Amino acid sequence: MWLTAKNPSSRVIDSLCDQTRGGNIALAGLYCDFLSEQEDTITNMIGTILKQLVGRGGIPSDVREVFLAGKRKFGGRGPLLVDLMQMLRTTIVSLPQVFICIDGLDECLREHLPDLLQSLRDLVRESPGTRILLTGRPHDGAAIQRYFGEVITIPIGLNPDEIRNYLDMRLDGDGEPDVMDNNLRADIVGTILDKMSDM
Amino acid sequence: MAQTTHTDSVNYSGNIIGSFNNTFYKSDEDAQIMRWLSRLEPNNRRQSGRADRFGGIGDWFLETSEFREWRRGEGGADKAVLFCSGNPGVGKTYLT
Repeated sequence: MWLTAKNPSSRVIDSLCDQTRGGNIALAGLYCDFLSEQEDTITNMIGTILKQLVGRGGIPSDVREVFLAGKRKFGGRGPLLVDLMQMLRTTIVSLPQVFICIDGLDECLREHLPDLLQSLRDLVRESPGTRILLTGRPHDGAAIQRYFGEVITIPIGLNPDEIRNYLDMRLDGDGEPDVMDNNLRADIVGTILDKMSDM
Repeated sequence: MAQTTHTDSVNYSGNIIGSFNNTFYKSDEDAQIMRWLSRLEPNNRRQSGRADRFGGIGDWFLETSEFREWRRGEGGADKAVLFCSGNPGVGKTYLT
């Protein structure tokens, strides 16, 4: 699995940014992608979340202290999970409201998923205002429930009306309007909707 | 890391702290600490554009009572998690 900081462009991220002008929020996002060859771990996931949260307001003193202590004692080894979790807790407490988006739970390696969910649960218990958005396949719901009890779930499916509107918009902007006619247009839309219904 | 400063992104998000566009460090030590926390660099939000450029696709999601309730941040730990469940390719990443 490789882990990237989540693509920052999404409807939810845009909306969180828009709706909260005037109030402080902090965002962190991860995108799990198991197709990449590089192995990654819960330590890197938590480190990446923390990194995104500590950025703008200046690095908190406790984070700096742990870093400097590690440098003196161990010649600069990477942070331990236990230290990262402690730093993440104190960072979250210091922020007004924290949103953490983790996209692609189904691409998170199975052996890491329990650690990830447990870490998130610990954070929520300590700071109940923290909001966590997870995406995954339907079968991931059971694992999430084991850690959080009943969770609010929104099923995401393909919406034919939205797809049709989007195709109309793109076809209207087609670069070669001379070769486009209503039959070709209907063929294109029909074929794509057929393929979509198989997904 | 200090050389990857995106000063233009600093003004962009008003009161939103941290997150996606903060490769902006005050000193070499700060840059070292950030690299120590994680090797990953946050994506730059400016460069990615906005997701709503596709004509309102996904509005339904933002308007669900589930999302709005979650978004308000009330309800404490019991309402902390929102799970978007769907098969590959249906647009979860675009939405969230």
